[in-house]
Amino acid sequence: MKPIITTHDLTKKFGDFAAVDRINLEIMKGEVFGFLGPNGAGKSTTIRMLVTLTSPTEGTAVVDGFDVRTHADEVRRRIGLVAEKLILYPRLTAVENLMFFGELYGMSRAELRPRIDELLRMVHLENFKDMATGGYSSGMRQRLNIIRGLLHDPDILFLDEPTALLDPQSVRFVRDLVKELNANGKTIILTTHIMEEADELSNTVGIIDHGKMVAVDETAFLKSQYKCDTLEEVFLELTGRTLRDSASSRVPMGRTPMGRV
Amino acid sequence: MSHSIYVTFRIAQKDLLDFWKAKMLVGTFMLMPILMMTMFGSMFPSTTGTSNPYRNAPMAMVVEDDGSLAIQVADQFKDISASTALFKVRDFPSFKSARDEILTGSVKGVVLIPEGFTDAFNSHRQATVLITVDDTNAQMASIIYGEAASIVGAISDNFGRSIITKMGISSDPSFVTEPIGVQRENLIGSTTNSFQFLAPGFMGLTVVMGTLSGLASAISREKEQGTMDGIMVAPISRNAIVAGKMMSQTVRGMIQAFIILGLSMVLFGVKVYGSPLLMVGVLLLGVASFAGIGIIATSIAPEQETATMMMLLLQFPMMFLSGILFPMDQLPGWLQWVGKALPLYYAADALRKVMVLSANFNQIFMDVAVLALYSVTTLGIAIPVFRKAMTR
Repeated sequence: MKPIITTHDLTKKFGDFAAVDRINLEIMKGEVFGFLGPNGAGKSTTIRMLVTLTSPTEGTAVVDGFDVRTHADEVRRRIGLVAEKLILYPRLTAVENLMFFGELYGMSRAELRPRIDELLRMVHLENFKDMATGGYSSGMRQRLNIIRGLLHDPDILFLDEPTALLDPQSVRFVRDLVKELNANGKTIILTTHIMEEADELSNTVGIIDHGKMVAVDETAFLKSQYKCDTLEEVFLELTGRTLRDSASSRVPMGRTPMGRV
Repeated sequence: MSHSIYVTFRIAQKDLLDFWKAKMLVGTFMLMPILMMTMFGSMFPSTTGTSNPYRNAPMAMVVEDDGSLAIQVADQFKDISASTALFKVRDFPSFKSARDEILTGSVKGVVLIPEGFTDAFNSHRQATVLITVDDTNAQMASIIYGEAASIVGAISDNFGRSIITKMGISSDPSFVTEPIGVQRENLIGSTTNSFQFLAPGFMGLTVVMGTLSGLASAISREKEQGTMDGIMVAPISRNAIVAGKMMSQTVRGMIQAFIILGLSMVLFGVKVYGSPLLMVGVLLLGVASFAGIGIIATSIAPEQETATMMMLLLQFPMMFLSGILFPMDQLPGWLQWVGKALPLYYAADALRKVMVLSANFNQIFMDVAVLALYSVTTLGIAIPVFRKAMTR
């Protein structure tokens, strides 16, 4: 496998605060990369830099051969973003939403019609295509949100908390969909707080804390390395058990990046 | 390039479709100019013709003199008041009782024919009628006094003519009573009302307020709900996003402006004397001059509520300082400078000149130049600010 995303000393500072601090990553083509970290660890900022929504302060990030800073549009053509906040207009129907976002990628209406039908069928929403999405259930909205990110058939899909607040049936559907998309060749960067989900779906996980990568490797390797049965135990071992809404959340100290960083 | 133009239209179309589907919002949007026009149309009425709002204003008549001439003058005042529907006159026994009625608000003024009125007239001295009006509303007091005085003037004129005729002077009585006449020639062809001058300002104001508040929600709401990320992550020009947002807000602003124009024409007799094309051009330039300011404010605002407050902060001074509701000359010098630093002053001025005075492009060139300068400068700042704000 060859890397499809590479970062070198990627840094994002807000004033003096480094939200992301010189991270070095290699994400392989065709893998599901679980990107994990406590709240405020720097996950979202890293993802926003990789999808060109935020400019890095220092360092580089290359996505499918294109630098996010100098060739942002080339990067954008190759990625799909399924953000935690739904990227859908609640007053518009599913078709109106998908048509709009598809056309932003230069797709014609003639190209989009069959593509939209195909994707709606894939997530079982074909019977609700003319309904305003504000009337959808959470699960329906998330399924639609995912196919919105797939409209232009990107090679790389960023999924940010795709199963948060969903019922068990929807969670299962989304996880199976992720597996199916990966089996069809998509590289998936999955951000989640559900360790069981990351364990089930990811080939490789990267754990970030306080803006620094504390571990990147295959899940099985990390479990054996830290002598843990589950990914959750590995995560807690690396990031500590202290609640991150407390003033003492700037621990653990002295961790060093390890694994494939 | 062609994709950017298409995306601009597509973003505008999506915004308008999204807006159209919010039925209550559309209803409020349509109601706003209607309310505004009805309110301001009644607040700033004309003093001429049938559009005078003080028709049949209650007026007190006190005749202290018991001479026949006093009674004749009082009767003529009542007749003219009734025939012109200017005043509804009621008799009061004394000035004090009539004055008390002013204080309670049941009459707007008192016409007093004092004792000795007939004697003065019969002794060939000038007889005087006293008029007292409710001064608590300066504008209304001025109108009431003017109308009452003009009725007394007309009665006096008739008496003057009959005296001259009785004196056997062969000249035209008008030449003796008023050797030099004065006649008002309107700036524009036909008789107009004061609202003719207010309507263009309201149109400008509505377009500006619509654009500013619309942009505040269009950009901030999308930032807040996350859909802006979906647009920003697409391979499209950032300028096309800004242009699309501006276009949809412009369409909305223009719809409101034309509702105002339509209502002004139907309800208040406003006419467009100049080129409608030039009028639309000025409105569009007005929108462009404000869009930049709106984009800067909404780009830097952390959330929609702050953006809306920032827009209100801009709108209120403009409403009062741009010469739309109050003449600029009435403002203190430093406030006039503030007003003239705001683009709405130039938009309203150019619109007024085009719509009322039938001005051509050359005659509004200075206004257009200032608006164009505003547009280029603010948009020149707004686009990089927007880009930076969306990628910080």
